[in-house]
Amino acid sequence: MKSSIRGRGKDAIWRAGTGIAGFDEIVAGGLPGGRVTVVLGDAGSGKTIFGMQALVAGARDFGEPGILVAFEERAQQVFTNLDGFAWKGNASNRAQIGVIDAQLSQTVVHGGDFDIIGLLSMLDAKSKAMRAKRVLFDGLDVFLANLPEPSHARREVFRLREWLQDSGMTVIITAKTEPNDVRPVREYEFLPFMADCVVTLQHRVVGGTALRFLRVAKYRGAEHSANEVPFSIGKDGIEVAATNATTDLRHAVFSERVSTGVKRLDVMLAGGYYRGSSTLISGVPGTAKTTLAAAFASAASRRRERTLLVSFDESPDQIVRNVASVGISLAPHVKEGILKVSSLRSRGAGPEAHVARIRALLREHRAKNLVIDPISALAQSPDDNVAEEAAIQILDMAKSQGITSVSTSLMGNKAAFSEETPIGISTVADTWMHLTYVNQGGERNRALTIIKSRGTGHSSQVRELILAATGVTLADVYSVGGEVLMGTLRWQREDEGRRAHERAARDAGLHEREAELALAETEARARVIAGERAVREATLDRIRVSRREELEQAAAKVRELRGRRGADGPPSERAKKVRRRSS
Amino acid sequence: MSPRANVKAEAVRIRLFIAGESPNSVAAQRNLQSLLKANPSLSAELEVVDVLKDPELGLRANVLVTPMLVKSVPRGERRIIGNLNDTGALMSLLGLKSER
Repeated sequence: MKSSIRGRGKDAIWRAGTGIAGFDEIVAGGLPGGRVTVVLGDAGSGKTIFGMQALVAGARDFGEPGILVAFEERAQQVFTNLDGFAWKGNASNRAQIGVIDAQLSQTVVHGGDFDIIGLLSMLDAKSKAMRAKRVLFDGLDVFLANLPEPSHARREVFRLREWLQDSGMTVIITAKTEPNDVRPVREYEFLPFMADCVVTLQHRVVGGTALRFLRVAKYRGAEHSANEVPFSIGKDGIEVAATNATTDLRHAVFSERVSTGVKRLDVMLAGGYYRGSSTLISGVPGTAKTTLAAAFASAASRRRERTLLVSFDESPDQIVRNVASVGISLAPHVKEGILKVSSLRSRGAGPEAHVARIRALLREHRAKNLVIDPISALAQSPDDNVAEEAAIQILDMAKSQGITSVSTSLMGNKAAFSEETPIGISTVADTWMHLTYVNQGGERNRALTIIKSRGTGHSSQVRELILAATGVTLADVYSVGGEVLMGTLRWQREDEGRRAHERAARDAGLHEREAELALAETEARARVIAGERAVREATLDRIRVSRREELEQAAAKVRELRGRRGADGPPSERAKKVRRRSS
Repeated sequence: MSPRANVKAEAVRIRLFIAGESPNSVAAQRNLQSLLKANPSLSAELEVVDVLKDPELGLRANVLVTPMLVKSVPRGERRIIGNLNDTGALMSLLGLKSER
């Protein structure tokens, strides 16, 4: 479980966790424990929220009761202002947070110099009774402003510091800065010097959008990132984009693959996206980015995994209906509750507010998969860096929670999201697919290229993306003379091949039949000839027979004649003479 | 509600919250005492509370900054903060006419 990191020695630095998402990472665990932190910011910059969040976290997560010393507003008012936050102390936490109302009412008469000693003695009594470990002085500048002599402010602050050091409590002091500045009001310029840690909060309005920035200006005795980081105030209070954290990125690495929702694409990616990875699908409008992302959401829902689809400026119904036309049916999953489709408005709220909203949605839905369509909507922000930072933060957040994310990005509006820039979210994404239109033969066809996919041997060939009422598929493309053929041209090419094949098949059949016919003809002829032969043989036989009969009749006649005249010797002797002559 | 005749008769109830021997607290006590001495006509019930010894009393009275003088009677509570070097403010709070 969570705990403050405490050193063993009395003077060792330990960290008091603030419970502020992202902030503790920047400062390697939290505020300096047992020391003084000054939070500076303009009116409305979130100073009180910062302080109260740390106070509540102390009581709730670290067993460190705290005291709110309210100089500016009544303590009750401070709590009322926190009503909108999820972490607002519930009853048990409230008992762990003491309050001292220390605002001087407007009706109090000023009659000379005064000091903070009385307050400290009362605070001392209260903290001992409560065993308080943290104290928040909210709006110390308001108190100081009441001192009759500005020079006395320094005296009181150092008195305060001395007492605090002895108390061993972790102290947060908030004070106002000059408007649009990060320095305290001039009279209290010494405030940062007495502190061990200085956090400045800024609230800039750029192009009508409120942007908030946090900076750790000072952290005595510890390494920290001094960069300005955007933050948001959402349902969970302050959430800091911790991408500049000095701590390592420690995301669980998954080897499991999850389907992209498109079979051929799964094949191209050696099985699908890695679980817990982030995928970016970029492309110009109409290249079916949403469809591809929705295919993933649908596949995830079919795997019975809770999935969140966040869209910008398009209603959930609209999205469900649109992708239904290409055979992706999300409605049953939505109805079942396994898929949640949320629509955000890209304008109005700053990027960091979107981050907070998405974070909250992910938690509420307990999502394992996240689709953001399009993540480039964040670039509606007038500040590119902030938009990019927010986008990176979302991908990072998903990754750190093992959530597989697929984001689409519209090309052509902002440089931060364009294919040309080497920086930007495309570097953070694990897989980056780019969709384009290819103009050929008077037609525009959608082409998909996998630009990168970490840890995956992927096909680098361009594929044609085909949307049909039955779903999304990828088609092989014909490459002719270095040019990739798609659409009708590809179809023609395929068709030509098919026809050639058919022709060949047809020809072969014809030849066979011809040969068969020839054979049959030959056989027929053979039968006719055989018939003729039989006839001729019969004729021949008949001839022979009749000839033999004729000869026999003739011989019989000769014998008859010889017999009548008296024969002159036997016929056998004459036959012998004939045989001798012939040998 | 309260007739003027009664106002003079009613004692002024004052509590002075101090923090030990701190310079402002010492000065406040001194200033108050000398003012009371200079105005014997004022009938006052004075109670000095040292919040270092009795912080609970200070907390209950919602006195966070010392020294502070709280006048509770008559005519509702009024407070004056500081070491009371500004006698004009103190006198007006106590219903005394300023000598200036």
